[in-house]
Amino acid sequence: MATTESFTANGLLGSLLPASSKVLLPPTGGSEFASNGLLGGPSAMIDVSCGRKSPTLDIQTVSHGPGVDDMPVDDERDRLEGHDSSSSTNASDRFTTGGLPSESQDFPEVSELFRQHPSKKVPSVADSLHSDAHFHRTSSLRATTFDGKTIYMKRKTRIEGLRNTSGTSGHRMGNLLDIPIHRLMDELSAATAAKLAHPGPQPQPVTSTGASLPPTEDTLWVDRYRPHRFTELLGNDRVAREMIAWVKQWDFCVFGKKKGKKRPRDDDENYNPDDEYHRPREKLLLLSGPPGLGKTTMAHVIAQQAGYEVMEINASDARSAQVIDDRIRPALEAGSAVGSSKPVLVIIDEIDGATGGGDNSSGFVHRLVQLTYDKPKGRPGQKRDQKDKRPLLRPIICICNDQNAHSLSKLRQYARQIRFTRPADIHIVKRLKEVCEKEGLKADSRALSTLVGVARGDLRGCLNALQFIKARSGEVTETIMRAATAGMKEADSSTISVLNNMFAPMTRKRVKELGMGEEEESKYVGRLSREIESLNNPSTIAAGCFAHYPNLRQHDATFSRYEKANEWLTTFDSFSATMYSDGDFGLHAYLSYLVVPFYPLFQERGGQRIERDQADWENFQLTKTNEEIYKSLSHGLRHASSRLSGAYRHLVGSQILTLEFAPYINRIISPPLRPVNSQVVRPEERELLSQLVNIMVALELRFVQEKAEDGQLIYRLDPPIDVFVTYDGKRASDIAISRYAVRHLVAAEIDAATIARQADVVEKNQGGKLDMFSKTSKMSAKYDSATKTKPGNSSEPASKRPRKDPTDIADKPPVDFFGRLITVPSASSTKAAARKNVEKKYRVTYRYTEGTSAAVRKPVKVGAFM
Amino acid sequence: MSLWVDQFRPKTLDDLHYHESLSARLKSLAASGDFPHMLFYGPSGAGKKTRISCTLRQLFGTGVEKLKIDQRVFLSPSKRKLEVNIVQSNFHIEITPSEAGNFDRVVIQELLKEIAQTQQVDLNAKQRFKVVIINEADSLSRDAQAALRRTMEKYMSNMRIILCANSTSRLIAPIKSRCLLMRVAAPTSDEMHQVLAHIAKKKKFDLPPEIAQEIIDDSGGNLRKAILVFEALKMQSPDFSGSLTIAKPDWETYCHKVADLIIQEQSPARVMEVRAKFYELLSHCIPPTVILKTVAERVVDRVDEALKPDIMHWAAIYEVRMRQGNKKIYHLEAWVVKVMSIYKHFFYDIDMGAFD
Repeated sequence: MATTESFTANGLLGSLLPASSKVLLPPTGGSEFASNGLLGGPSAMIDVSCGRKSPTLDIQTVSHGPGVDDMPVDDERDRLEGHDSSSSTNASDRFTTGGLPSESQDFPEVSELFRQHPSKKVPSVADSLHSDAHFHRTSSLRATTFDGKTIYMKRKTRIEGLRNTSGTSGHRMGNLLDIPIHRLMDELSAATAAKLAHPGPQPQPVTSTGASLPPTEDTLWVDRYRPHRFTELLGNDRVAREMIAWVKQWDFCVFGKKKGKKRPRDDDENYNPDDEYHRPREKLLLLSGPPGLGKTTMAHVIAQQAGYEVMEINASDARSAQVIDDRIRPALEAGSAVGSSKPVLVIIDEIDGATGGGDNSSGFVHRLVQLTYDKPKGRPGQKRDQKDKRPLLRPIICICNDQNAHSLSKLRQYARQIRFTRPADIHIVKRLKEVCEKEGLKADSRALSTLVGVARGDLRGCLNALQFIKARSGEVTETIMRAATAGMKEADSSTISVLNNMFAPMTRKRVKELGMGEEEESKYVGRLSREIESLNNPSTIAAGCFAHYPNLRQHDATFSRYEKANEWLTTFDSFSATMYSDGDFGLHAYLSYLVVPFYPLFQERGGQRIERDQADWENFQLTKTNEEIYKSLSHGLRHASSRLSGAYRHLVGSQILTLEFAPYINRIISPPLRPVNSQVVRPEERELLSQLVNIMVALELRFVQEKAEDGQLIYRLDPPIDVFVTYDGKRASDIAISRYAVRHLVAAEIDAATIARQADVVEKNQGGKLDMFSKTSKMSAKYDSATKTKPGNSSEPASKRPRKDPTDIADKPPVDFFGRLITVPSASSTKAAARKNVEKKYRVTYRYTEGTSAAVRKPVKVGAFM
Repeated sequence: MSLWVDQFRPKTLDDLHYHESLSARLKSLAASGDFPHMLFYGPSGAGKKTRISCTLRQLFGTGVEKLKIDQRVFLSPSKRKLEVNIVQSNFHIEITPSEAGNFDRVVIQELLKEIAQTQQVDLNAKQRFKVVIINEADSLSRDAQAALRRTMEKYMSNMRIILCANSTSRLIAPIKSRCLLMRVAAPTSDEMHQVLAHIAKKKKFDLPPEIAQEIIDDSGGNLRKAILVFEALKMQSPDFSGSLTIAKPDWETYCHKVADLIIQEQSPARVMEVRAKFYELLSHCIPPTVILKTVAERVVDRVDEALKPDIMHWAAIYEVRMRQGNKKIYHLEAWVVKVMSIYKHFFYDIDMGAFD
């Protein structure tokens, strides 16, 4: 018989041998057992994972199931730690008694078995023993039941699969969610019932992990009572489920498991059908929430639960873009950590402290985001480049306190965000009570709820405080608690929370929690200024106050409060400006006090919640953009002035530019032109057009063709100086809207003129070099004539400046050029080129710039260097 | 092709249309060979820079019109790079140190010394000295002005300095005492008429006098603005037909809108509205002091006589604070709230004494 053989192969199970050979079992029970991961909570998971390593452990795994008789159900750990013999004897006992209710065809759910016929679970034990033995030898196995049926045991292959990370542990996980919560609850209650029936030496099983350890005082309670299983997690079920659902979405990618029979879930809008790896659309998970609620713990537990090996990067590690390339990417690409068979899941803790959230492209966050959209480049046929980025195939969980932290702004849009909220006080109190009982600390609920209130749900803080109290006395009362938590009052604060405190009095509840009297409550200066100071950035608070105060409902007919508030604000600004400009940082201490008066002026119960005000920031951004436009405009002006012997330079001055030039140049460049073909333009209009083109070319203004959002072609002014006549998104009414056709016409002319100008530049440089060789008097004479040149008198034969040519020709009747302006520049440039060839062919010039000031620059002949 | 402002800018002292006595004086100064440091001051658009370049032309001849424009990079004490644009000819150099912001001292020190320590190289030059023109001298920081003082005396033989400023009030006394002060007053409306007519004649078209009058009235003695408006007008309606409106700069129109908002209603919601408008103006790079001034002038125009001094008083106070402070919007809003409060008190005839 196969079973017998298998057992002998697995030499560890000597005592069981007779029993199992006697009773041949359908192995299906075992397989069910494994697939149904939540049986008895995550313990099953852990156990199974252990089980993969050694069959001996597997026995223990199974044995906890039926342990109704003489073992406390929950103490799997105990069993794991060496109740080898007892469990095996248990099992063997039961083999004889249990019978075989679930024979080959009938494969009951083990969970059902658990609930309905606890005594019938025996088979599964034996079964798993049995299968384990097989597993030891071969991956796909065959067994024969005692009635001669052949059975293939799927479970073994699955376990084998797990080993190479693409196995089916995902399947197990998948089933995990399939078990409805009420069933889990049933199990739990059954377990509790069992516990009650057999009060063991350690009656508090909830923190079962701690139970097995001897209570040594060198561990923090926080660590000792840290949850290790999914069911032990405290608090928000929704968050936990949402999170594990996200992790499960990776299953196809990580474990190669098909979605298969799974019904499409509601949360599958995150499912991305285009992704060839079937990864979720958001490849990062951002978990945020105040400290001490167990975010990190939950991430670890869930990762473990889902069958991953955790790799954690936290603030203690260097966090630069380098780290991503050096550590995270290799880990992700290898698929699993060294020495482990499980796929890796990266947890980046405290990511809000990481660098490079802003524009800094070398930052950590930036690099992380890049990681998510790296695409595989090489086609299957092509040889893959070593440097090629491979796609992200493993989940990454980021944890932070402040979801809105500046450094995360880039990350937020790529991450699925889950917000952690404080669990109901009653749950925390319950857990604390259990801990206290276990630690032998007498605590009444009242004291504990005080503690929770002061700590605002910070479980870690509560546990630490309790341990601290325990160190001094064995009893917790409310008074002791108050004394011990004196320092916890201003634990955390964010800009928003401080602002909310500024505009709203403390809630009654909070006052009570802090145990303050009437008098103490009415004192606000110290409290608020401390809060502001702890933020260390009073100017953001001031800005927040400024943004918020007119939103308040309170009636202020005389504006007296507004006046006072503004008085404080301007004073604040004077202080901070003096502080920064003179470097007088002694003033910093006073800044927070200058904002506090907003409290007596505007505090209001139940007022509007404060939202982050973006107006100031948007204004700042817009100002910067517009400054850039001004810069490019003044750049254009300078260029123009260097070409036109300083013509525009007086307009560059900052105030003149913004206040006078910018509004009027917009009017000057928008004449009322009719959108007609350039060949049939009337002479007046032609003149207008040429004038317009000349000005625009001189200022380097162009019309750039672009496609609007609706696919329509538009011409955009570049640089977009028309923003300076656009207020509130509306153009000034007296400026005609230039139509597409007009702009098209003008744009064509500008292009033509630009070509002409480029020819000019060549010519002009030539002329400039000429000057180097001529005498100063000659030069000045020439310039005299040049500057006297007015566009009106086009007949100036002596002019060596073909720059004038376009203007002059444009003024002539269009017949001369058959109405084609485009020919003008080419004509002038060829003319110019011809002239150049005739006159200056023999000149070799070398421009030697000595120094930068005009005072020491003088023309030198090439001969001087030879 | 340049704008009319540049096209019809007089090139020589003789071409100047107004302030003949000033031109005659400059001419004789240039001829004397004993040319002092000078400080040209007067309102914007009066013709200071035009006169300066005419004077230069008188001093050195047409050579000063051959200009080179380039950028110099200076290093601030904190090793930041400062770019300053320099316009220069063989005989003079023109800088705007305020481009370097707080570090104008560095520009003044380095550049002036460099120029001052070398002599005029060009043997054909009419003068033995070079000229440095400093634009926007009234925005020079105190440090920069102090740096200027000694240089002005020490290198007198090599260099003359011409300062150009809107007002002398922000220049320190030692600088003023070292310069010959030249006030360039804004042109009268007759003088402006003359200039506009001159342009029209050169451009060969007729300018209806009523339009010219409108342009001049609107410009407030700023000839540059008048000519820009004139050109814009000509460009927008080439034959001066139809109903012509003199274009006001958009920011000014917008400021007037703000002023109207303040007067129409005094409520928290209105405060928010006005704030949004201020943000819009600030984001268009309109200097906050200009905003405050324009809005205040408009408000004063439209309120009762009794309120005017108060409103202006507070505008002045908040402007000073604004110049000292960082967040301009606080001060603008503080003024708005103040005005609203004053207006409301006046309107409802509430005794204000209790609130002070």
